[in-house]
Parts: sequence; C-alpha cells; structure tokens
Amino acid sequence: MQIVKCNKDSIEIADGILKSGGLIIYPTETLYGVGVDATNEEAVKKLTVYKNRPLGKPYSIAVRDIKMAEEYGNINQTAKNLFLEFLPGPLTVIVRGKHKLARGVESENGKVGIRLPDYEFVQKLVGKFGKPITATSANASYKKRPYQVSDILDNLSQKQKDLIDLVVDAGKLPTRDPSTVIDTTLDEPMTLRQGEIKLSDKNEVLSRSEENTQNIAKEIWQHFESYLGKRSIVFALQGEMGTGKTQFTKGLARAMGITELVTSPTFAIENEYETGGNKLYHFDAWRLENSEELNALGFQKLVLQKSVISVEWAEKVADVIRGFDDEAIIIWIKIKFGVSESDRIISWGNL
Amino acid sequence: MKILAIDTSCDETSAALTDGTKILSNIIWSQSSAHAKFGGVMPSLAQRMHEERIDWVIDRAIKNSKCTVGDLDAIAVTTGPGLSIALGVGIDRAKKLAIKHNKKLIAINHLEGHMLSCLAGPNSESLELKINNLQFPALGLVVSGGNTLLVKINKIGSYEILAQTTDDALGEALDKGARMLGLGYPGGAVLEKVARGGDIKTYTLPVPIAGQEKRQMFTYSGLKTAFSRLVKSEEPLTKVKIQNLAACFQDVAFTHLVRVLRYYIIHNSSFVIHNLLVGGGVSANIEIRKRLRKLCSQYSINVLFPKSKKLYGDNAAMIGIAAYFKAQRNEYINPNLIDRKPGAKIFD
Repeated sequence: MQIVKCNKDSIEIADGILKSGGLIIYPTETLYGVGVDATNEEAVKKLTVYKNRPLGKPYSIAVRDIKMAEEYGNINQTAKNLFLEFLPGPLTVIVRGKHKLARGVESENGKVGIRLPDYEFVQKLVGKFGKPITATSANASYKKRPYQVSDILDNLSQKQKDLIDLVVDAGKLPTRDPSTVIDTTLDEPMTLRQGEIKLSDKNEVLSRSEENTQNIAKEIWQHFESYLGKRSIVFALQGEMGTGKTQFTKGLARAMGITELVTSPTFAIENEYETGGNKLYHFDAWRLENSEELNALGFQKLVLQKSVISVEWAEKVADVIRGFDDEAIIIWIKIKFGVSESDRIISWGNL
Repeated sequence: MKILAIDTSCDETSAALTDGTKILSNIIWSQSSAHAKFGGVMPSLAQRMHEERIDWVIDRAIKNSKCTVGDLDAIAVTTGPGLSIALGVGIDRAKKLAIKHNKKLIAINHLEGHMLSCLAGPNSESLELKINNLQFPALGLVVSGGNTLLVKINKIGSYEILAQTTDDALGEALDKGARMLGLGYPGGAVLEKVARGGDIKTYTLPVPIAGQEKRQMFTYSGLKTAFSRLVKSEEPLTKVKIQNLAACFQDVAFTHLVRVLRYYIIHNSSFVIHNLLVGGGVSANIEIRKRLRKLCSQYSINVLFPKSKKLYGDNAAMIGIAAYFKAQRNEYINPNLIDRKPGAKIFD
C-alpha cells in the first residue's frame, strides 16, 4: 500500500494503478471513496472482497461528465434534469444501465448509480483515466463513515488492507452527509437515501426490504450521532402494524454497535440493550392505556440521563414525548406501506 | 424441601408453595380484568396493584398449603425477564421475607420456570419417578407472549439456546393476528376457538424462513405483514372469512414452529433426543399440542406438557419447581445482592 498526498502528481500515480486493475482510496466532496476500474471484472471482484459485501449489491460509478454517463447508462429526461440542476455535487442518480460495466457494478435488475463528484481530483482523475471508476464509500459495511484515512485503516483487517494499492490522502474532510441517492427509473423520481440535496422539503426515502429499512435507520442514526452524550436522542416511530418499526430499531442498534438481539417489545413494553459501550432503551406504547404511563416506566429519567431511546407506536404517547422538546433531540419517523409488498416509505423530521 | 415462590414478572401477581416438585398451593391474581379492553396496560397501575395484592397472595398461598413460614426451607422469586417495575415488587417482598425470617433466597429465571413447569404436579412420587427417567440432553421449548425459545437442556440448570425469537414471539403474533381480525387483544385464545371452524386450505400464507430453519431463529414479522395485507384484501370480513383467516394464520404460525423443531431434532449428530419439555401460555393451545405430539411420535420422543391449566400461563408454582432444582445445586443468592434483570436470557 502506497500513501500519497492529494496533488497533481497523485493523479498520474492513481491513473496508472487503475489501469493495472488496482484499488485506490480517494477523497470526494462527501467521504473517502474506494475506486477500481468499473469495467474490469477482476478489479470489481477485488473491491467486493475489500468491502466484505455479499454479492449482488451494486456499486455506484463516478463519471467525468454527462457524455460519459450516457455511454454507460440510459439517461432519461428526469435523470438529465437532475444532472443539469445538481451535478457536479453530492448526488447519485440511478438510471438503467447499458450493461457495458463489469459484472456486479449494475444491480441485479440492470440499474446503475452515477456520481459526478464536486471534487477536482476525482474529475481530473476520471478524465485522464477515460472510463468510470467505482464510487462507493471506503468503509466496510456498518463501519464508521470515512472522513479521514485513519477512519478507514483503523477499522480494516490486515487482509483488507493488503487489497489497497494506493491511498490518496487529502487530510480530514469536512463532515458532510453521503450523497443523496435518487432512482429515476420509476414512474416518479424516488429518493433512496437522503443527503444534502433534497427533491422536496420532506426527508423521505423508499425502502425495498427489511435489510434496507435497517440501513436507512443506520443512515438516520449517523445524522444525529453527534448528539450522543450531549442530549437525549429519541426516535419516535409511527406506522401501522407490520411496517417495520422493530426492523428500524434493529438497524439503529446495529449502527450503535449493539450486538444483542433486538426483538419486539410489545409484550414486555420495554427492552434494554447495552453491548458495545452504548445503551439503547426500546419502548412499545401499543399496549399503554394512556400516555402518562410512559413516565411511570421511567422515560423522563432516561431523557434526563441523555439516553438513546426508541419508541414504537409513538403516536400513542406523542404529548409526553413532545414535552421533552428542550431536553431531547426528537426524531419523528413515519413508516408507510408502499406500492409493492416489500416497499416502505420512510419519512422523518424533527417536528 | 418446602419453598415459597413469588412471581410478579408481568400482569399476574402470583405466590405458591411447593415441596420438591409437588405443588401445595398456587395462587394467581390476574390483572387482565383490571386493565381496560384490548389488553391495554398501565404499568404504574400494574405496579400499584402488584403492591396492593402481593401480601394477600402470599398469605393465601401459605394458608392453602397448610404450612407455616417456619416450615419453609427457602424463598424463591423471579428476577427476569419481565417488566422492570413489576419485577421489583416481588423481589422486594421476597428479600424482606428472607431477611425477616432468616430464610435462604433463590433467584429464578422466568423462562426456566416455564420450561420446567411440566415437571410440577400434585402427586410427588410419580413425578420424582418421571424426573429420574428423564434422559439428557433433552430439548426445551417455551412458547409464550414474550418468547419463542428452543433450548438444548444438557441437564437441569444448563441450557444452550438453539433458536429464539428475533422479532415477535409466537404468542404475540397470535394476539396481533387476532387483533387484525377484530377479535380483541390479547386474542390468541379466541383465535384458537375461531380457527376450529375454519379451513386451512382457503388461503396461502408464506411459512417464515421455510428451508432456512438452521438460522437459529423464530420469526413472525413477515407472516404478520403478509397476514395484515391478506386481511385488508378480504374486507369486509364475514364470520366464515374470519374463521378461515384465523385457521390459516394459526396453521402457518405453527408450521414454522414445528419445522424449526424438526430441523433441530434431525440435525444433531451429537446426541439422540428422548425428551421434549414444553411450557408457556401458548402450549395451552390444543392444536399446537396435537402437532408437537405428532412430531415427537415420529422421532420416538417423549413430550411433556404442564399438568394443569394454571401451569401454562404465568404462575409462581413453576418458579418453586425451578428453585427446587437450584436449591439442590446450592445456588442461593445474598438478599442484599438480588436485583431485577428485565432482559434476562434463560442461561443468565
């Protein structure tokens, strides 16, 4: 593994490594990414081993401009509009692929995510390389978001480190959210991950599976994580039976480093988890006869202790939760059924 | 060995006197009638009611057993899993009694109580014989509102989890299914009755993790969601539809349970299973007992269920039975160190 400072010379070096099928860690306007030649099957295989990901999870690609994007994906009018309005910038546009990329880059149903990072190094590198490179975050699944090189290296096994050919170090990046991900292949554009760029003034994303819901919980957690220990963080979950409130809490716990099994608290009313140094209190208000009962269970005390709390059926105890507006960061999460059976629309806000 | 046992893990305030595996008394004060319709609970009220009833329940258990406090060898109490503020009431009383009368104190896991409840009975001799005939390792199954748990019992007191709840427990799933059909909450028992009039072939629902039973889990969230969609698509509901829906839901819920159990019966090269111990509120369901008996007869396994209705749901007699085995192993606890464990696992 070679580590170089991010400058003009590093473009040459990175280009050479990509051409020989190597794997590089590089800075973007959001996080550090990991790049390989997106048309080289061997290189993509290497990336999958590095990311420690199951097969079948697609990778976004970074392109130089809309022309390069059109070579590899069908850019419909919606996608074109997004390109014109937001790119280069922290946005991944999902389009139908043209099957010219290495296997594993496009999703199983032939879609591909396209990025045009607002970062000079990447634009110049992809321009010189002449082909798209993968643009996925440099951390392994469920590990810390990579804003500096040590965030990455400290969380990798030796085997993973050995797969890195080059690290382009630009120091500590400003803490920004990962890119917004918008799927343009549906009837109307759908946000799959919410970053800085928003389609509407609502935070709303589409979940396609239970695993997906857990991932979205992780993303939302990372958004509010910085309050840990400073304020109480309350996730107030609303949604009909079977929408996945417990699944959401599972993702939350996992993102917090909790390894205990998270189960539905409907029967017990309250569960507590405390592995991995963090503590999560998991309430279920469904069976509560009135909202004051939440405080009888010690909710107030937990808020004052700056605890992380998840409340299922929060609408039943909304008045009590709202009473702690000053003491806690309260994130209201709504989960609704979507069109197809496994789809869920997840929206959230502080109000 | 005479033990006074106390359980206040959830809605029931219960105290019992046991002598070995023999039940001398088993008093259960249920709060379910006190809480409003649809199974709503008021934890503050629950705590207050436990506090109001506990002394009466304990006195009554002692009186009915025709023993005195002086006859007691030990006092046992549930420390978890359960609702924290409810558990606290029983623990506090047990601790005070142990200190006041200088009795040994035993902390019991509620799940272990359920699992050993099939060893309790009114007649101690035949039971002792039965226990002596138990061969270990055995399998233990707890099916209740809060847990679906399959364990390997190496011997009484030593357990390994084979499969456990990952989302909704079986009893909770049945209760929620009943709720979707407008049968109230908790409606698992009503669902069972309604299902008897239905045809399980009417609808097709997905059997959870079919073919992947080795995943060490019981899961009902997917079935619950599929069922909620099915119910909506069948609206308006008629009596016949409700019967058929109830039958199909219960059928698939039990099929999953039996499939996981079968997997662990077949796939273990390390030991031959001769006994299955079953406990928990859902084991009162006649259909599930029928299916478990059928499964066990296929593999020449002797299946044991609790002897009386009172032993299925939450009760203190089962705590007394578990305590008897702990006492034999000399596992007592210092009254000043006993504490609630709301999230306890069976091996805690």
